[in-house]
Amino acid sequence: MWAYIVKRLLLSIPVIFGVAFMVFAMVRIVPGDPARIIAGEAATQEIVEGIRKDMGLDRPLLRQFATFIGNVMRGDFGRSVRSKAPVAGEVAARLPNTIRLATAGLFVAVVVGVSAGIISAIRPYSWMDTVVMLVALAGLSMPVFWSGLMLILIFAVWLGWLPAVGTGGMAHLVLPAVTLGMSTAAIIARMSRSSMLEVLRSDYIRTARAKGLAEAAVVNRHAFRNALIPVITVVGLQMGTLLSGAVLTETVFAWPGIGRLLVEGILARDYPIVQASVLVVAMAFVMVNLMVDVLYAVVDPRIHYD
Amino acid sequence: MRRVLALIAAIALTGALVISAAAAPAVTPTRGGTLIVGSGVDAVTLDAPMITDSPSATVSEHMVESLYRLTPEGKIIPMLALGHTVSPDGRTWTVRLRTGVRFHDGTPFDAEAAKFNLDRMLDPATRAPFRFLISRVTSVTVVDSSTIRLVTDAPFAPLLAHFTHSSVGMQSPTAVRRLGVDYARQPVGTGAFKFKEWVRGDRVVMTRNDDFWGEKAFLDEVQFRVIPDDGARVAALEAGSIHVAVRVPPREIERLKGARDFTVSIDDSLRTIYVGFNVTRPPFNDVRLRRALNHAVNKRAIVNSALNGTARVSDAPIVPAVEGYSKIMTYEWDLERAEALLREAGYSRARPLRAVFHHPSGRYIRDAEIAASIQGLVRRAGIELELRTMEWGAYLALTNRPQPENDVQMYMLGWGTVTGDADYGLYALFHSSNWVPTGSNRSFYKNDRVDALLDRGRTTVDQAERNKIYAEAMRVIMDDAPWLFLHSESQVTGIRHTAQGVVVHPAERIELFKAWLRR
Repeated sequence: MWAYIVKRLLLSIPVIFGVAFMVFAMVRIVPGDPARIIAGEAATQEIVEGIRKDMGLDRPLLRQFATFIGNVMRGDFGRSVRSKAPVAGEVAARLPNTIRLATAGLFVAVVVGVSAGIISAIRPYSWMDTVVMLVALAGLSMPVFWSGLMLILIFAVWLGWLPAVGTGGMAHLVLPAVTLGMSTAAIIARMSRSSMLEVLRSDYIRTARAKGLAEAAVVNRHAFRNALIPVITVVGLQMGTLLSGAVLTETVFAWPGIGRLLVEGILARDYPIVQASVLVVAMAFVMVNLMVDVLYAVVDPRIHYD
Repeated sequence: MRRVLALIAAIALTGALVISAAAAPAVTPTRGGTLIVGSGVDAVTLDAPMITDSPSATVSEHMVESLYRLTPEGKIIPMLALGHTVSPDGRTWTVRLRTGVRFHDGTPFDAEAAKFNLDRMLDPATRAPFRFLISRVTSVTVVDSSTIRLVTDAPFAPLLAHFTHSSVGMQSPTAVRRLGVDYARQPVGTGAFKFKEWVRGDRVVMTRNDDFWGEKAFLDEVQFRVIPDDGARVAALEAGSIHVAVRVPPREIERLKGARDFTVSIDDSLRTIYVGFNVTRPPFNDVRLRRALNHAVNKRAIVNSALNGTARVSDAPIVPAVEGYSKIMTYEWDLERAEALLREAGYSRARPLRAVFHHPSGRYIRDAEIAASIQGLVRRAGIELELRTMEWGAYLALTNRPQPENDVQMYMLGWGTVTGDADYGLYALFHSSNWVPTGSNRSFYKNDRVDALLDRGRTTVDQAERNKIYAEAMRVIMDDAPWLFLHSESQVTGIRHTAQGVVVHPAERIELFKAWLRR
């Protein structure tokens, strides 16, 4: 197992390197002059040229890339071209917010999604199944900027139970986590249902029922764990997505996470910010995927990594 | 209170400048409390000479003061300066400074400090985007501890107005030298509020400066919170999480009118919105076509529908609050006239004028919707516009190309004359020395008469004379129609009744110097 983990970690190095090159190239292919955006419409060309020189944009692309990679190896992501703040600090300040929101959102999604999926699967094609799956469809279809605003309207403006926007204590986390969790819960619910249905039709479940086990025991002990494998895959993928920043949720709830940092960086052509955020997100993705693979082995003893 | 509110609403409706401070009830302000402003975007930098955007300037101006100040009424009053004299040749300015003022870190504000700040802004290595505001200054010398002398390469009348700009703010030389590049995140000025913390992407917090040289602020603390989503910002105001919401979407005004806990204040802005034509290339090198478009667009309809009435149809390239403004004219909405002009230029329904119209989305209030309205309105006159919606960064790069390679035919932009002086609102946009990428004349407009007038406006000291010069220049400009003149934006701000004395400045700033919280 450990050898496998080390091998996977080593394999992730070329992946990260590839991502670094891609993002480096892409921010430069996108039209728009970062120096002009920083200087604003009113600044003279002389100032714009000066800023471009300060940013090193007047040097050949390959040399810029070499400098960038060299600095990253030393842990130096540079400074934001707009705010002049060290990029590592900017990302480090936003990352915990993103992790908090993603974790809370995923918690909501897993609890709601898995329960809904199983309830549906136990009584397939019943009215309960229809209702649950309709709700799941609605959750999946509702745009976050609408459902988020509705939640703010109900729980912050009308009822006054929860804060409308911003970060702070646990209370601030509830609405964004529910908003973020809702769409993911819908995906997980649908996946859990189909996975559970498949397992419930398998021979060993028939055997378990045949030997007279109570239905609850059949579902909890025999079906549930086996139905989990595909669900874990989905949860893992979703975790990666959530970590890469739930931009819309972060925007609606004024949540200073990495998604907003990235989007603001792109709009301002703040190359160092974009490069660092994308790299961090890519690393998060790689790590989550590895964790998912390891979890397979934990859930299903038949899976070994040698 | 009700009468006061009715008064506010009445003034707002006429589009006049509303200052809630002026309308504040005769109640003694109470000290203390934290006032929270919900802003759409975070500040970018708090190092004054590097600021280019109004959210940064709004935050900065509470901590960092300039030599002079532009009041919301458009007057220039001394701030850290006490007064100045100009030599008869108009090239030497002697500025007397306020004495006994200290920066928040204890460093005295004196002639040396003022010189340090002006020299820093003038140093090309600082890369100050607004360096051009004072770039005519060739030397700054210290006369005595409270007097500085500036020499300009030619008489330069707008200098006083330019001293009011936030980027010419006076910052502690000690802090600037000690913190270097990190200064941008912890500014030290002389203002009524002191910097406390900046949680990037979330909030900037300031506390009252109890050693302030002027009238001290009432509030203990001020917070500028970033709430990017318009709907969420309004909801936060309704929920009472914030006291002030900037940039309330015009479509929300109707719904919010009946609110008990807050008012929606509609205030003028110094920002003019226009559609520029490239006057050096076909088809818009023909002035008849430029005038035809000006006649074909019903600006009143755009203001009333797309902007819910929260804007003012332009009658000059600059707005009334700018020194040097005078009402010039508005192209009447007249389809027959437009069609006649088109016919004269050789176009007809059978052979319509076709052009590509570039515009940004989300930069100005309802910009994309306004572009679509223009497209629809001019079609009735037989003009076919193809819309190209662009992201701001790409748009700026496209419209900023030099004349030989710039093939943009029509583009939508805005310009805020934030110094409150006509020079800033006209020179960079219409003088032929300011074609992009050097200046901001993206129409490649060149008229020798206008050039001469704008040059004279700069060097003439007498304001009444300047006003005449600018009126003449604007008449020529509007007749030449290098722009499709649209409107000036309004600022729509939600303010809770508990927050008193909040001022919405036409330079797109929220000012809390005299604000207080009603318990």
